[in-house]
Order: sequence, then structure tokens, then C-alpha cells
Amino acid sequence: MSGRQVIVVGGGLGGLWATLVIAGGGHRVMLFSLFEMMRSHSVCAQGGINAVLDMQGQHDSVEQHILDTLKGGGWLANQPPVKSMCESAPGLIRTFERMGVTFSRTPEGLLDQRLFGGVKKKRTCFAGASTGQQLMHGVDQQVRRLEAEGRVDKHEWWELLSLVKDADGVCRGIVAMDLRSLEVRAFRADAVVLATGGLGQLYTPQTTCSTNSTGAAASRAYQQGARFANAELFQFHPTAMIGEDKTRLMSEAARGEGGRVWVPKDPTDRREPNRIPEAERWHFLEEWYPAYGNTVPRDIASRAIWKICRELGHGVGGGDRVYLDLTHLDRAFVETRLGAILSIYRKFAGTDPLGAPMEIFPAAHYAMGGLWVDFEHDPATGGVKPDSPRNHATSLPGLYACGECDYAYHGANRLGANSLLSASYSGRVAGEAVLSHLAGIERGAEALADAPFAAEVARQQSINDELMANRGGENPYRLHAALGALMTSRVGVVRDNAELDAALAEIAELEQRAAHMDLTESTPWANQTLAYARQVQDMIRLARVMTASARARDECRGAHYKPAFELPLPASKAASSATAGGNADPAWEAYMARWQANNERWLKTTVAEHTPDGPRIDFEPVDLSVLAPDQPRDYR
Amino acid sequence: MSSSISNRHFLLRRLHSLLGVVPVGAFLAFHLWENSQSRFGAAHFNEEVVGALAGLNYLPFIEIGLIALPLAFHAFYGLAIIRDGRAEPMRYGYLRNWLYWMQRLSGIGLVVFILLHVGMTRIAGLLDPAIHADLFGHMRSALSNSLVFDLYLIGLWLAVAHFANGLATAAISWGLTTSAAAQARFGWFCLGLGLLLGVIGTHGLLGYLSAPVGTGA
Amino acid sequence: MTSIAGADRPALRGDGSADGARDTDPSSGSAADTQRAHSRSVELQIRRQDAPDAAPYWQRFRIATRPGDNVVSVLRALRADPITADGERVDPVAFEHNCMEEVCGACAMLIDGSPRPACSALLKDLGAVIRLEPLPKFPVVRDLMVDRARLFAALKRTRAWVRLDGHWDNHERAPRISQRQWAADYLYSRCMSCGICLAACPQFPDAAGRPADDSAGFVGPAALGQVRLLNAHPLGRYDKAERLHAIMADGGLTDCGNAQNCVRVCPKEIPLTTAIGELGRQTTVQAVKDFFGV
Repeated sequence: MSGRQVIVVGGGLGGLWATLVIAGGGHRVMLFSLFEMMRSHSVCAQGGINAVLDMQGQHDSVEQHILDTLKGGGWLANQPPVKSMCESAPGLIRTFERMGVTFSRTPEGLLDQRLFGGVKKKRTCFAGASTGQQLMHGVDQQVRRLEAEGRVDKHEWWELLSLVKDADGVCRGIVAMDLRSLEVRAFRADAVVLATGGLGQLYTPQTTCSTNSTGAAASRAYQQGARFANAELFQFHPTAMIGEDKTRLMSEAARGEGGRVWVPKDPTDRREPNRIPEAERWHFLEEWYPAYGNTVPRDIASRAIWKICRELGHGVGGGDRVYLDLTHLDRAFVETRLGAILSIYRKFAGTDPLGAPMEIFPAAHYAMGGLWVDFEHDPATGGVKPDSPRNHATSLPGLYACGECDYAYHGANRLGANSLLSASYSGRVAGEAVLSHLAGIERGAEALADAPFAAEVARQQSINDELMANRGGENPYRLHAALGALMTSRVGVVRDNAELDAALAEIAELEQRAAHMDLTESTPWANQTLAYARQVQDMIRLARVMTASARARDECRGAHYKPAFELPLPASKAASSATAGGNADPAWEAYMARWQANNERWLKTTVAEHTPDGPRIDFEPVDLSVLAPDQPRDYR
Repeated sequence: MSSSISNRHFLLRRLHSLLGVVPVGAFLAFHLWENSQSRFGAAHFNEEVVGALAGLNYLPFIEIGLIALPLAFHAFYGLAIIRDGRAEPMRYGYLRNWLYWMQRLSGIGLVVFILLHVGMTRIAGLLDPAIHADLFGHMRSALSNSLVFDLYLIGLWLAVAHFANGLATAAISWGLTTSAAAQARFGWFCLGLGLLLGVIGTHGLLGYLSAPVGTGA
Repeated sequence: MTSIAGADRPALRGDGSADGARDTDPSSGSAADTQRAHSRSVELQIRRQDAPDAAPYWQRFRIATRPGDNVVSVLRALRADPITADGERVDPVAFEHNCMEEVCGACAMLIDGSPRPACSALLKDLGAVIRLEPLPKFPVVRDLMVDRARLFAALKRTRAWVRLDGHWDNHERAPRISQRQWAADYLYSRCMSCGICLAACPQFPDAAGRPADDSAGFVGPAALGQVRLLNAHPLGRYDKAERLHAIMADGGLTDCGNAQNCVRVCPKEIPLTTAIGELGRQTTVQAVKDFFGV
């Protein structure tokens, strides 16, 4: 095989998809992962993957999927990529299906679809309530086949430490560390794809994310010059189990299949939930948002639960918890469609969600923001230009990003079941873009001088040596815990500039402390503390980007909620004509004017660039070429 | 691409499984049935049972080809298979795991028992025509020794247990029973079959001691 | 949100008293303190091993627990302050974990002698002394970390994939699959490659003396479950004979001893022995077909 060498970092859905496409295109792929591929966080996705198949008799359309995604995301996503993603979704489902993914079926044997948040049509394909794991099975098997054919070379238990750039600033490889031998080694490549996932661990332990979703790899790329976009836009999932070690996700599918969220009407009511009669239950989502009810988008549900517990003091037992109730649904039906999450709840809470309501609270879940990536607009279709080498290219030439570590598809808030879609789709598009990029390369990385690789290895090795020798007294595990507590309390569901300023000061302090760590072990074999300490340092740097970006955006948009800058919706629901600027009630006229003015100022992508003095925050316009944003988000 | 019938491994394992049921298992059932007639006494046993068998045409081919060789293959290939396994009945105290362990222990025990048993009867009969002529008497005197009786009783129950459990697992290996429920149902059936064969066999052993010596003479 | 620092939970010294040097979290509410006051402490006995060829040894740790704790959460807490029950400061215990909700399969280990995922092993269901050992059958990397390459090698041996023309959309509608078949298939697709069934399988050979990606010993129940799954798929069916031939070779299906531990220990309750029975049937039919050249 005469193909070129490509490095893909990350063995989740995005990375495996990119690998499939690149290796399928005749190139050699070195696939790096912190662990065996099937441990990747993609397996935790539960509820499903969106694609318009319109098989439920509801007149669903791709246009509606595009609109729901854009509007759900506060209009902040660049529109051509969203358009192309939604259009590609049915084809992706068919491809997964061919791979052997066990999508749930209707009695006729067709793909079943269910309702998810922020939409009114049943659009979500699913495989029980373990859809992410099933999709991973499909691509993992395909990649294993390529591996067996010698076209993919897996490097499991290797961690990316940094990128290697040539004299022109083009990314030509990586430096990675073997997590067993601690060997630091350079790997050359003609293109590097990062598919390193999310960063929920910034909020440890109040997150649904796996413990390896640290964002450290994206942080490293950022520190080497890749721009980071919309860092402040981070989703808090409304329905996570209460837990001190981790807040485990209870899929949005629970609400999509008919689950109801409620609290006792009397906040002092201490009765068992099953003993509280229907009339004494407050279904606040249904009351506040009659049009969408329990299936409002996640940011809205999270804020509503926050409001109930924190502002109104109306949480169950006066605490940070509300009920998510499935007990009124048919047992067999729920068991078939949600078995996986029922099992998680039973195992970890010790009670049966079909016997008594679950207790849930919002938790850090998904980064809409991520590494800035480009796209090439195709005037012919209005979407992205297929096979353009610009698609999913980061601001560093030769470096691509896909999956949760990019920022491309979800704007200010991600709709449920769009993440498996964007991870898969972006992996495929990034792979195709890399193929085009490789076609334009004249001199392969193997011909490059050794110097930049050797220099980067030496630099990384010295960081390791210093950490191993350091006896500064700061414990990396405690620093991480402190970071999680700080981010959860100050850069969480509700934000305030004074709090954010305080957070920035605390982060600076944490960064100082992180320079004086004591690993407490200097074992040269499988030293997990060394890798962890480096991740913590890079998480703190990323937290600074996130907080600085949040500080810069003085408005409410999607998951970024700063009450001081809120534009309250008029009391009445908008008449449909009002959205088009028609002659509706004056309150709406006034609101629309303010909303449009706010968009003028803030409907922009936040872009952070690394400087020695900290992140430099800038804004760039959003591509609104598909649908003019003329509908405020009103899910009432 | 390897093909199943050109691959020795699959064929040998399946042959081992098949031979355990037919003819070895079938012979066991037949053998116990025949011996259960010991209670009708020496004359009946020596003439109607042993005599009838001895009068079969091609007897040596039947004995060697249908019984001895299959049995030997099943036994010695079984011993080879046992080397691959490592039972941990205390760590995994599930019934099927205990049976797995028992199947292997009983297999080893049966190799020893059958060698002794065949030596004491068929081989001894070949060497000494008197034994052949009055097998009933020979057995009766041997079994009067309580040590030998206990040995036979243990050997008998090991054999029926090994057969019954082997039949149940063969049904899984060959794909006759697939669901857990079917495997359990057939398992109970095999338990019943094993108990029945065990009772028949025990009855036969006791028959040697209790039957009148001279009946019909 | 309450900010209970994950590491704010010291290992206890031999006498059971809390280490005074812990970080104090000024914002931590009284609820957390109350919980801690009411919590019990457990003793972890951990089989440690510094490197693949080093000799294993045991260490004891005492640690305060919180309601809802599981083995992973206490191991995580222990990392910050790895002091043995005898007061000796030691290296943190190496172990793998990721999702903490029993879907990634990383944290499987022997807990009180039984192989299971550590994250779903809740302390309230365990005793005051908990014995932790690495998952057997696999080579130890360090402490509780093992290398499960053999599990993935088995998936290669059994060709556990569908042979696609390519990753692209071919615009063909998804094949119809009955709900009944889906329900049966889905059970197998929940395998998380944790290796617990292999650890408990008496026929799955120990790693000692075998290459890391062993391709001769028994493939084990996990891979057989995947063969069962793929053989049922409308496209996967095309390579059914190849997969069956793969499991009819050395170390294949016939090496199963029907001890059925796999199905008993599987944390996802995958009907592995049903798969083995069904594959028994499929290989029987395949052998007959091969014999007659069908």
C-alpha cells in the first residue's frame, strides 16, 4: 500500500469513524487511545441518535431537524454544517444498520423512533437505552477488521502530550506517552485528527462524563496554537442521578417515553413520593412549558430544576433534587425501551425506578464548545462542500478535530440525540477532508528532518522529569477536586460576572499551585499519577479558557445563562405571525426588537487564542446562510 | 480458510461427544438392563443373558469395534481434554460448574474402574473358561466381598452420573438445547434418566447377591 | 451545588482516626459532615504487583466511606492519600476505570474472590473487609490493571464484524428485523468487553506462558456471543460459514466445557450459554454441509 500516514487520537465514535474513512481511502492510520477503544465515553450515550426517517406518520422533515437543531442551539451554530449533518443523518443510520447495530424495531420490523427534547416529532433512532454502546460496537468492529488487515495500527494506552509542527507551522505528528512504560515518543504523520472527546471532568464529580473526559488533549492543542471556540457553552443535563462519586446520566429518553418531572406542591411534604396524590404534585415543566412539557430542551429543563430547588426552595425534602417519574408507564414497555438506564438506577441507587420515582438533579454533561474547526460552504447546496480539505480543519494546518472536542454543530445548546449524530458525522467528514488534504501533500512526514520531533520529545520528557522530581506538596487529586468544586459553583448552570471574576482569580491560583505538585510516587512503570497530574494542569488551563469566555459573553444564550442580561419573554405566548414580524401584540414587538438587537451584538462565535498572558477572547460572525434567525426560543 | 471437516480439532471433539452417547452411553444402558436380570438367578443369567450374547455372530467385531474402541477413544481423549480445564468449584459454586468438575473427576474414576471391571470379567473370562462359563457365580463371589461391592456401587453411579450429565451437555454442544429453559428441562430429564439407570444398575448388583443360585438348574 | 471534594476523604490510620492533614473545605455543608460522622470505615486488602513480572504482595488500607460508595469510588479516594493501615505511605494503587456506570467494562477485578465490575460493587453490599485482586486469566500490568488484549484478539480470530463494501451510504433501506429477533440480538450487543466471563471460564487458559494476543487457546464466551450476534444479522449472515469455520478450529466452540460460569457472572446478563447452544447447532449443520459439499 502506498498511502500516507495519518494519526487519529481518540477511539470513540468520532475517531473510529475518521479512521474508517481514512484507512478505507488507502492510507495507514495510527489510532491512539488512552485505553482499549471500547472503554471510550461514546459507550455512555444512552437515548439515541437523531435522523429524519419520517416513519411515524408525523410528517417529519429534514428542514424541521435543521430548524430544531439551530433554534435549540440558540442560533449560534454555523448553519451549513448543521444542514449537511441533518441531511446526512438517514444515510448514517443506514450505514450503522449495515454494520450490525441493533436498532430497536417496530412491530413491522422497521426502525423504531422515539421522542426527544426540543422537538415535537419522533426522530430519534435508538438501540434500547444503550445506543452509544451499540454504535461503538458497529464502528469498533469495522476498525478491527481494518486492523486485522494491517491497515490500522492501534496504540492503546498511549496519551497524546503535544503536537509536532514543522518549520512552516504545519502539524506533522505528535508526541505521545506510553501509559505503561512512560516512554515519550514522537510519531510522524501527514495529518493528525483529534477526536478526544469532552471535558466534563472540569466539573468533577458533578458530571455524567467518564473520568477520562478531561479535555486535556484539546487543551494541549489549544496551548500550541489551535483556536478554541464557544468554550463557555457547556451543557448541564437536567436528569442525572444524585451521587457523590459521579452523577450518572438518566437519559432524556426517560422523558421522551413519557417520564414526568415533579416535586411535591408542599415543599415541606416528607411523604414517600408514591403516597403523594396526583393533585398534590407539581409538574412544573408541564405547567411552565405546556407546548413541550417534559421534553423541553436540556438547558431549559436544567434551569427550571435549578429554579425549583435553588430559588424557590422547592426541591424534594428541601434539597437539590426533583422526581423523574416513570411509575405511571407500562412496565414491559419501559423495560424494553429503557432497560439499560433502569438497570443503572437499580444498581447504583438500590431502588427500582418502576416502583418509585427517581431522584435527579442537573449535572455537567456536554461541551458544545471545542476546538475551532473550519468548513467550506457549498453555494450549490447551502451545506458544506463534500470532500473539502477545509472541513473540520482546525486553525493549525494539518490538524483536524471531530467529535465532542470540536465546536461545530450545537451552537449554544445541544439537542438530545444530536451528539451521537455529530460525533459520527463529523468523524466521517473529517476523514474525508483528511483524504483531500493528503492528496495535496508533496513531501511526506517521513522525509522531514528529525530536529523538531526530537526537540518536542525532549521538551515533553523534561516536563515529565520535572513532575517526577517535584516535591511541591500539592496533590494532583485534590487540585482536581478543587477545580471541580470551583467550576460547579461558579461557572455552572447560572452565571454572574462577579462570580466569574472570582473564578478567574481562583483558577489563576490553582494554576500556580499546579506548578508545585508532588506526585507522591516516582515509579517508572504504569505511573498513573504522572499522566493524571499533567491532565490536571491542562484541565486548569482549559477551565481558564472556559471561564474567560463565559465572562466575555454578556447575554443569555442556550446553556450560557447570565440572569443579569436576561431578556424576559413577554407573558403571552407569541402568535405565530409575531415571529415573522407581523402585527402582533406590542409586548412581542418590543421583545423582538430587543432580541434582534441582542443578536446583532452577541450572535457570534467566541474564539479563544492562547497567549502567554492567558486566553485572548475574540468574536467571529456566525454563518446564517440557511435560515435567518427570526424565532426566539419559546418552548412554552 | 480452514474447513470444518478438514480440521481435526472439531471432528475429534464432536466424535468424543458422539461416542459418549452412542455407542458408549447406549451400551451402558443396555449393559445395566442385562445385568438387572441377575435377580432371576445363575441359570437364567448364564444362559439367557450371557449365553445369548456369546452366541451372537461377529461378536469380537461388535465387542471391539462398537464397545472397546469407542470407549477407549472417549476415555483417553477425555483425559486429554481434562488437562485444558481448571475448575474452581469453590469460587464459582454454581450447579453447572460443580457438574463440570464432577464430569471430569468421574471420568478419571471411570477409566480406573472400567479397566478393573473389564479385567475382572471379560479378560478374566478369556483367560479362565470357568469364569466364562459361570459369570454369575464369579460375580456373586466377587461382590460378596464388601470392598468389591462398594467399588462397583461407586463405579456404577459414577458411570450413570457421567452419562446423564454428558447427555445433557452434549445436547448443548450439538445445539439440541439452546435456551436456558430448554437446557434446564433437558437437564431434569437427564437427571431422571440417570436415576433410573442407577436404580436398575443397583438392582442388578443386589440381584447377584440375593438371587437363588440354583434356580432353573 | 454542594461542593464535596472527591479527595476530601482521608485514609484512616491504623487506629481508625482521621488524618488531620486533609484539606478542609470551608464551604462544605453540615450535611456532608453529618454523613461522614455516620459513615463507617472499611478495610481494603489489595493484592499489589509493581510490574508484570514482579512478585505480588498484599497491602491493607483503612478508609472512611460515604453512603453510595462503591469499590471504584473508594479506590479513587485512596489515590489522594495512599497510606496503609500500618501508617506507611505507599504508591497509589493502579487500577482502570472510566464510565463508573457499568458500561465501559474497564474496572473488572476480583472482589472478595468474585470477578465483577468494581464500579457497581456497592460498599453497602460488601463486608467490613474487602479483598481486591486483579482480574484473573489476564496478564497483570500493575496492581489491579490487567491487559485484556486476548479478548480483542479473540474477536479478530472469530471475524466478529460485518464485511461492508465501504463506510458510505448506499441508499439502501435498512433491512427489516422482527421485534422478536431484535430482542434476542440486543442482549448480545450489550457486551462491554470486560473479560469477566473469561476470568470465570474454567476452559479459558491462564495468561501465564501465553502471548498477550493469544490466538490458540479457547476463544471464550465473549467472542462466541458476538459470533452468534453477527451470524443473525441480515448482512453478517453472508460470512456465517467463515465465522463458523473459525470457531470450529483449535480453541473454538468445542473447547467449551459447559460449566456455564460465564452466564452466571456476566454483569450484563448476556445469555452466553444460549449463544453457545445456538452455535453448537450452527456448527453441526455447517459440518454436515461441509461433508456433503453444500
